[in-house]
Amino acid sequence: MRFINSIRFIKVQSAILLLILIALACDDHGIEPRPETPADKISGFRGKVTFVNEWPDSIKRAFVVVFKDPLLTPADFTVFNLKFLSREIPLESPVYEYSSLDSAFIPEVPGPFPPGSYAYVAVAQQSTPEISLARKDWFVSGIYYTSGDTTQPGKMVIPDSAFVEDINITVDFNNPPPQPPG
Amino acid sequence: MRKSSKKYLSKLFLLISIAVALSTYQILYAQVFTISGKVLDSKLNPLPGVNVILVNTNYGAATDEKGNYEIANLSAGVYTIEFSAIGFEKFRQDNVVVENESVVINVTLIESVILTDEVLVTAGKYEQKKSDLTVSTEIISGKEFSERNFSNLEDAIRYVPGVTMTEDQVSIRGSNGYSRGTGSRALLALDGLPFYTGDSGDIIWEMIPTLEIQRVEIIKGASSSLYGSSAIGGVINSITRDISEKPLTIFNGFYGVYDKPYYSEWDWSGERRPFNGLTLSHSNTLGNFGFNISVTRLEDLSYKQDDDFKKYIGFLKTVYNFTPVSSLTFLANTFNKEAGQFLYWKDSRNALIPPERNLGDRIETNRYLFGLIYKNLISDKLLMNIKTSYYRNYFKDKADIPNESTSNLYRGEVQLHSNITNYLVLTGGVEGTFSEVQSSLFGNPDAYSIGAYAVTDINFNFPLIASVGVRYDYSKLDSLDGSGAVSPKLGLNYKLFKDFILRSSLGTGFRAPTTAEAFTSTATGGITVKPNPNIKSEHNLTFEFGVNYTPFNFLNIDAAVFQNEYYDMIEPGIDPEDGLVFFSNLVRARIQGGEAGIILNPLPNELSLSFNYTYLWARDLETNTALRYRPRHIFYSGLDFRKWNFDFGINFRYTSRVEEIDDELVDLGIVVDGDLRVPVYTTDIKLGYNLISYNLPLNIYLNIKNIFNYNYVELIGNLRKIRNYSLGFNLAF
Repeated sequence: MRFINSIRFIKVQSAILLLILIALACDDHGIEPRPETPADKISGFRGKVTFVNEWPDSIKRAFVVVFKDPLLTPADFTVFNLKFLSREIPLESPVYEYSSLDSAFIPEVPGPFPPGSYAYVAVAQQSTPEISLARKDWFVSGIYYTSGDTTQPGKMVIPDSAFVEDINITVDFNNPPPQPPG
Repeated sequence: MRKSSKKYLSKLFLLISIAVALSTYQILYAQVFTISGKVLDSKLNPLPGVNVILVNTNYGAATDEKGNYEIANLSAGVYTIEFSAIGFEKFRQDNVVVENESVVINVTLIESVILTDEVLVTAGKYEQKKSDLTVSTEIISGKEFSERNFSNLEDAIRYVPGVTMTEDQVSIRGSNGYSRGTGSRALLALDGLPFYTGDSGDIIWEMIPTLEIQRVEIIKGASSSLYGSSAIGGVINSITRDISEKPLTIFNGFYGVYDKPYYSEWDWSGERRPFNGLTLSHSNTLGNFGFNISVTRLEDLSYKQDDDFKKYIGFLKTVYNFTPVSSLTFLANTFNKEAGQFLYWKDSRNALIPPERNLGDRIETNRYLFGLIYKNLISDKLLMNIKTSYYRNYFKDKADIPNESTSNLYRGEVQLHSNITNYLVLTGGVEGTFSEVQSSLFGNPDAYSIGAYAVTDINFNFPLIASVGVRYDYSKLDSLDGSGAVSPKLGLNYKLFKDFILRSSLGTGFRAPTTAEAFTSTATGGITVKPNPNIKSEHNLTFEFGVNYTPFNFLNIDAAVFQNEYYDMIEPGIDPEDGLVFFSNLVRARIQGGEAGIILNPLPNELSLSFNYTYLWARDLETNTALRYRPRHIFYSGLDFRKWNFDFGINFRYTSRVEEIDDELVDLGIVVDGDLRVPVYTTDIKLGYNLISYNLPLNIYLNIKNIFNYNYVELIGNLRKIRNYSLGFNLAF
């Protein structure tokens, strides 16, 4: 009798388990659309690049670049650490204004920029015929500094739902900053 | 290189041709007999499809639609005959004496509730009882495809315990993540013919006509000792339907619609998008010649924009019996597709439309597989199989930077299978492949491989079955250095009691890099992929211990624990020298886990329930993080109720949220909101009605899939099918 009862128990328990799981499933609809961020709550950054002196003829293109982590080794200069790569800065420009809401190479689709701390913001130039992400093909011509401290790259901190202004960089082609490793 | 490969290939085919010719001319002069008869059920209805075998020989047959069978060309002797069919108690008769005249044996099979013993699988490259195997194996019955309206093999694979799909890439016990069509760690075969493309080594599920499938066998765990490269994670073998003895025409079709998306902002079309399919199949036998032929047309306007398709599938299987013991099977499978190419959503608010830059992207593919299988029962103890195949693939996309690729894959295999004694079964063979590629993505590389294998199954009286096998493979991919691999395997199956079976296996596997992994050269979305001339094969060591227990005739329990160690696992990564993406031997990985499954039949032949749970811990040992696209928990459950002419079923599927994905695609802004992912809960319902009692050979089915309209992704930025309804029919006459 106890044996038959235990079999009945297994049958009932199995059916109940299946029903519970199905009931759990019907209450949830999974992925939902993220709410659109109001214009005044969009996180991001903007700034101005000022070029002093003449552009050298050897420069084929230049970009604003933002790296998440510090460039301590050549391996840090990778596409995975590169969070922003602007469109090409027009050659010979004396001033270039940019924003994370502009069309860029990275991210491919502009929009709210993830809040957080970014360790290295710079203007980098290339002289290769084609665009390249190899470290050896990049030369840093200007770095973003905070509070006038030019001894180390400045951190760009983007708070939640805030747009950071004045991420300004000065590029002096005759007096380039220290280069990252590699 | 190409010249020498072709020379090697022509030699291989010459050898195969000679072997075919020699065996075809074999004429049997000895006096021969037959064993024939009829198989009925307890209500005296004829039973078709019953397996009838002479134990410890290679002789066997299956009953036809009227329950008749015949095993011909037997020499005089004493045999043991065994009858088995799914849902019936096995029947065995010893001491069947065949001398001077043929023998007639009529039997009646008794219905049973759960029996795993009678299911025959070809895991060891020859037919074995499932209960005799040393590895975990799952079976999908062919009828599932029409009953549940699976028009694509991958739809059914999603419900196999321990198996998950990330879009079209299969992962058996966590073997695979998502590598964007560049190689697979599971081998798909069609009637034993390996079925992977010559360029990317990818599985094209949609090419196989599901109406032609009799069953699908899924072998979990490394099977390289028999199948070589690509079988490192397991094997999926699709067995096509037997050819009918009498004219048989099947007309199968369905029409369905996708419901509106759950969120109104996703409703990009303002309508319920339809899908439909139609298959016409005919089978017949004319003397020594038999055939199955079918054509299928599938059309889907899709719930996603630019995701529509039209597919045409052709299938032909012919068998010519030269003598009662030798036959030649010809297989042809053709496929044409014209489809949209939905890669990722625009963002989560526009989840069913692609980004503007991808609008209008389309792809056209043409694929052909031709195979020849020659079988010859050289003696009652020795069977020879010769298999050759040619697989051509062509695709061209219409994107901003169009890609076009053609690959030709040639393959040949000679296999001998012998029941040396009642206790010793030996299977061995050699095989070779050659592929040539012309591609804007992969360049124009050639590749070849050769392999030789031998497996011995020893049946002790204890009763213990030991399976010992080893395979050697050598592969060379164009300019890359050639490499060899030895893959040994040991398996044990011990029937402690009649209904309590222990199994265990230990083996190694390997996978040679595919052409795509070694030679892909492309740039898209800011990421440049470069070739890697230094890439080498990946290896694994796999262990499994399992138990199958049937304490009552309505309850079956199966449980297993497993561990896979992967060495030099091939994954995409970044070359720090130049910042470019390439495939390399990056990962040392470990996949551990356990599985438990219960099949319960509370009402014999009417109600069945199944529960399957798998725990997976797949991790990169160097970073101690989970491998990408591997869920930690997998749970599948099903209920099936059949009474009178009705059939009702519910299937529920759960996989936990995957821990790791392609973060770089999200970080680079290529897949906006790509981090959105959830656990998967899907529930499907089917209703069936059989009109056979009205003398109409017609079945109709109503399927509602994803009934709660749950939104989930398998691959980031790709919402899986929303709720859809379909009505199908299957008319056989």
